[in-house]
Amino acid sequence: MLSIARSELIQIFRNRLVLVTSMIMPVAVSAYFLYQHETFESLGSLGYIAAIMIFTVGAFGLYATTVTTLASRRQNLFLKRLRSTAVSDAGILSGLLLPVTVIALVQVTVLLAVLAAVAGGPANVPLLAAAVVATVAMLLGLGLATAGLTNSPEHAQVTTLPISLGVIAVASWVGISGTEDLALLKRLLPGGAATELARDAWNGGAALGDSLLLLAPTLAWVVVALSLASRLFRWEPRR
Amino acid sequence: MSSTPVIDVERLNVKYGDFHAVRDLSFQVRRGELYALLGTNGAGKTSALETVEGHRPATSGTVRVFGESPRDRRAVRPRMGIMLQESGFSPDLTVRESVRLIGGLTQRVDTVERVLGVVGLTGKAGTKVAQLSGGEKRRLDFATALWGAPELVFLDEPTTGLDIGSRDALWDAVDRLREDGSTVVLTTHYLEEAQQRADRIGLMHQGSLRREGTVAELTRTLPSVIRFALPPDAPAPPLATTREPDGRLLAETFDLPNDLYTLLAWTRHHGLEPQGLEAGPTRLDDVFRSLSSS
Repeated sequence: MLSIARSELIQIFRNRLVLVTSMIMPVAVSAYFLYQHETFESLGSLGYIAAIMIFTVGAFGLYATTVTTLASRRQNLFLKRLRSTAVSDAGILSGLLLPVTVIALVQVTVLLAVLAAVAGGPANVPLLAAAVVATVAMLLGLGLATAGLTNSPEHAQVTTLPISLGVIAVASWVGISGTEDLALLKRLLPGGAATELARDAWNGGAALGDSLLLLAPTLAWVVVALSLASRLFRWEPRR
Repeated sequence: MSSTPVIDVERLNVKYGDFHAVRDLSFQVRRGELYALLGTNGAGKTSALETVEGHRPATSGTVRVFGESPRDRRAVRPRMGIMLQESGFSPDLTVRESVRLIGGLTQRVDTVERVLGVVGLTGKAGTKVAQLSGGEKRRLDFATALWGAPELVFLDEPTTGLDIGSRDALWDAVDRLREDGSTVVLTTHYLEEAQQRADRIGLMHQGSLRREGTVAELTRTLPSVIRFALPPDAPAPPLATTREPDGRLLAETFDLPNDLYTLLAWTRHHGLEPQGLEAGPTRLDDVFRSLSSS
């Protein structure tokens, strides 16, 4: 698994297109939020900025790269090649997705650390970490499912749009307007509960029990995404 | 030496939806054998081979490789090398990186330098796969299949796109693997390769195995042929003949030496010289043709 991860890392850094769209673009957008943090704080809160950065890296970086990478490795039969060795399917997927996941986690950690440095730190770090991990798991699962519907890396530019734009929209809506009204709908939408959790973890003031309950919808989305992925994911191109 | 076959396929069926790709296929490959699975286009050999390799599930029937299910990758893959029909390497990795990655994942022990030396790609070790020619990609594929000298090697159309030199080099490497006791399963469109190298051949047509045996056994069922032309005023020859489109006469025989002698003695007796004389045993091509037309 680690040798697959290492070769994947080499490929990411050799392919400048992937590097720019998935690694640099989300950081650039987040940097703008950091630079204008006073404006966005008055619009929502510091917790909103934290949530929107998590989702920017998650949706445009991790999720889009996951779909593009898997579609590309399937299209050129690299997945089939890996499956002709002794590694298990789970080992192959873990190896392929480990580098992008670690890169996304490092990016989010650095961005949140910068936010803490320039504007003051989060109220509850473990809860914030839980929000990040749950979001990453959900987007990885959705990435696997979307990859099943994606024929080529070019096709991924279209197939990733509904979910990446959708979760960003949800994160913005929930992040700015809060959950005073339409709470149930907002929490059930993918990314809604995770946004509220990240926001509360940063801003503080919410009861811990209520916050932990917010993990449930996100983890439910992980289960939904994985069951979709197990049905939709394909290892070889359609004949 | 164990008498258990390396590959044991019994009543294998593979279906994709309504399409029945493989029907009731049964065959065995013994240790140390070179078995060629041949067939017309769409005969089901790739489906059969991929099921034996463990790439796809059987719809029904059983497949055993080393006595295990080929779907159990951990058990069987360290003992087998697979050369796929289409390469499947990442264009952004170099030859060295690709061989090290895929070779290492087989869990066998070998070195990049050795296998690249065997396939003649040492000078290309630092080249990205995207920059390789079609033949070089086939050799890279072969390099990963022979990594760690596996007990069982699958070669799916191994010489397609290779020039003569690379083709000879590949067969030399296969010969060395076989000297060390490896079993080889081959598919190819070059029938002369199978005719020269296979211990046994299975001929597939429309999803099922139509003929199986050594080259001699397969060709024995069809008559040998003698072709020749005679001047227009020549008397009727002593053999039963039919006229070919090119004007030559064709005689079929199950006793080539005797009938050829009869014909030549007859032409000498009449002071005739047979033109365009050809005589030989049935080739695998002819077995193939008889199969597709039946």
